[in-house]
Amino acid sequence: MDGFSGTLRLTDLNDFIAPTQECIKPVKIERKSGKLSAIKITSSGDYAEVDSHGVETKLVKAQITLNDCLACSGCVTSAETVLIQLQSAEELCRVLDENAKVSAAERKLVVVSVSAQAFASLANRYQLTMKECEEKFCGFLRSMGVDRVYDMGAASALALKETQREFVDRYRSGDRKSALPMLTSACPGWICYAEKTHGLFILPFISTTKSPQQIMGSLVKNHLAEHQCKSPSQIYHVTVMMCYDKKLEASRDDFYDDLYRTRDVDCVVTSLEVEQMLEQRNLVLSQCESVPLDRLPGVESSFHAVGGGAGGYLENILSFAAKELFQTEIGPIEYKVIRNQDFREVTISVNGEPKLHFAAAYGFRNIQNIVQKMKRGKCPYDFVEIMACPSACLNGGGQIRPPDPSVAKIWLQNVQQLFDSLDCQKLENVQWVQQLYDAWIGPQDDDRKRLQLLHTQYHSLENKSNALNIKW
Amino acid sequence: MSSLKLLQDLVAHDDRVWCVKWNPTGTLLASCGSDKKIVLWGEEEGKWVAKVHLTEAHERTIRAVAWSPTGTYLASCSFDKTICIWKRDDTGVFGAIATLEGHENEVKCVAWSVSGEYLASCSRDKTVWIWSCEYDDEYDCLSVLHSHSQDVKKICWSPVEDVLVSCSYDNTVKCFKDDGDDWTCTDTLTGHESTVWAVAFDGTGKRLVTCSDDRTVKIWQRFNALDNSASQKPGWHCVCTLSGYHDRAIFDVDWSAIHGAIVSTGADDCIRIFEENLTAQDPLREPEFFAAASMPRAHSQDVNAVSWNPVRGHLLASCSDDGLVKIWTYARPE
Repeated sequence: MDGFSGTLRLTDLNDFIAPTQECIKPVKIERKSGKLSAIKITSSGDYAEVDSHGVETKLVKAQITLNDCLACSGCVTSAETVLIQLQSAEELCRVLDENAKVSAAERKLVVVSVSAQAFASLANRYQLTMKECEEKFCGFLRSMGVDRVYDMGAASALALKETQREFVDRYRSGDRKSALPMLTSACPGWICYAEKTHGLFILPFISTTKSPQQIMGSLVKNHLAEHQCKSPSQIYHVTVMMCYDKKLEASRDDFYDDLYRTRDVDCVVTSLEVEQMLEQRNLVLSQCESVPLDRLPGVESSFHAVGGGAGGYLENILSFAAKELFQTEIGPIEYKVIRNQDFREVTISVNGEPKLHFAAAYGFRNIQNIVQKMKRGKCPYDFVEIMACPSACLNGGGQIRPPDPSVAKIWLQNVQQLFDSLDCQKLENVQWVQQLYDAWIGPQDDDRKRLQLLHTQYHSLENKSNALNIKW
Repeated sequence: MSSLKLLQDLVAHDDRVWCVKWNPTGTLLASCGSDKKIVLWGEEEGKWVAKVHLTEAHERTIRAVAWSPTGTYLASCSFDKTICIWKRDDTGVFGAIATLEGHENEVKCVAWSVSGEYLASCSRDKTVWIWSCEYDDEYDCLSVLHSHSQDVKKICWSPVEDVLVSCSYDNTVKCFKDDGDDWTCTDTLTGHESTVWAVAFDGTGKRLVTCSDDRTVKIWQRFNALDNSASQKPGWHCVCTLSGYHDRAIFDVDWSAIHGAIVSTGADDCIRIFEENLTAQDPLREPEFFAAASMPRAHSQDVNAVSWNPVRGHLLASCSDDGLVKIWTYARPE
């Protein structure tokens, strides 16, 4: 469980087994070769083995300690665990090896999409600029047999665009109490926590817009597939992400296509696993050949959103909403820090009257305060950018670790600087985004395709209060 | 000779009693337990009587209570995952003003910082939480600490600064401090061989006492870089281990800030009091403690908690699985 975000670890994925369920914890059994023997119960109630010479040996009980129990994921979430095993660098290599052996007709198109946060982590680790890192990593993947390597700019742009629209729709819906605050949905650790612990209460407030990873999934398995005249199952889609929790996200049933038996994202590999892949091959990224990234059909340039390592939701939605709802252009955003750097808020006033109240809350402690404020009916915000990791996604659990924990802060600052060195743009200044949207999704009022490709849903998984689970 | 004598049995709980705590002026004793109620005991004409029953705030066992430094607030924590804050109004009546949610399962302990600015809680979910206490009775979560690898049993604050100490089923004791942006674990005290059930500071905040399932009580001392008195490195070090006094798990300890005596109790139903041998004190040597008094079969079942009265130092309260709260008088050695 180590790589997962703290928020996810807190949600009792591995809680105690209920006595009615069968424990699946494997126990090592020492098998001694020898003659057949009998087992008898001694007068003291122990079990003893009796060999052919009549010598009794007391048998040791198989013991399952609490520690075994807590470390075992057999109960509750075995389905999820199996799915996550399909999400590893080994699996990617296995697919590439297999792909190299089959006939051209059977070959899958192997596509890798890389998040900007993962690029920043790799660039920091291998002392490269962002541009160099993109091209070297692309070169490395190509040398392994990957067909296409994309950044996730287009998915990020569409995620922001759709979230802007969703926010304005909610704001105008009139029913502000049940529609706002709108909470972002891009962080799978947060979604998992919300579903497992606050289900029915909190889910209606969470934006239904898919995360950039899952929009990338739709772009690759739908838009790219159509363009290449391939079925979704003929494409193997890998994302390289900052976060282990993204593996859980990709494994959700909501992103599985029954018809083609394929997932929008087949495999998620973290920055940390990429480092291990390189180390296993005795490679340093800087030695790899530079190959420019590919571009999806309709994507004319790279896109990096203003507004930081968490995807720029707060800033892009705020400037759009101010313009759309109040015909106000907002300048540079001034944040007010509440308690700690991971909890900041912004208020936009129109004619001296506060109109839009947005916040960014990162890390479990700040998520907790937002949720509790909402439960008490005292949340003052219209929109909250929520991320489970402290310092948000650049500090994700799947990012490459510093060589020594004592330099963790500087390490993170360097990743941040690399990320900030990207040429950031405001969404509305990028022409091709609207064209791509129109070409792929179709007219704005065609809800069917829009909902299918850009939206998702959430499911309450609150623990049923089972009398057997209650201690004392 | 020192002695420990029973002053009074307090009967009001219908089930095991988990915790007893005196208010800061030593005039009220709060007790709580599996019957889901809190009883406040006060003295009337020399007798301790149940003055208030606080009920209906928790759905399951109330594991612990804690008084704020002013005695205005009482916090209770429960196996129902919540913490309840009670406030005393001008007429002296206590009412529930807030419920703090967030722990994943049983909350084991709560404690207020000496400044009254922070409340801390810990749980079977392995976390320690720090809450801010605002003037308008709003409670915000400041930090969620994942340092322990197992159930966290108890927490306590330093009497002189905002330093929190916790102890756990993972056999360790940990110290936490605010580093400016978040709370971080500054020290991990290892040495106990089993669950550390309780931890308490002395009156100066320079020493800690812990007790464990390993049937020992340990005294820890904090050495600063400037202390050239010992060859110890800066940080917390175990300076004394008291073993052989309890023959079962030791569930609770308390260190009197008034007279410096340590009380311990546990599954052997016995209460023991230890005093420091001050005549032998030598800054270059480790401190010595001796057993000053003991009360075998203080209760008929496990004794879950003990608490020294913070003003009337000779008064000691205890509570047990037998459903009783008891008040004892302790006469110190001559």
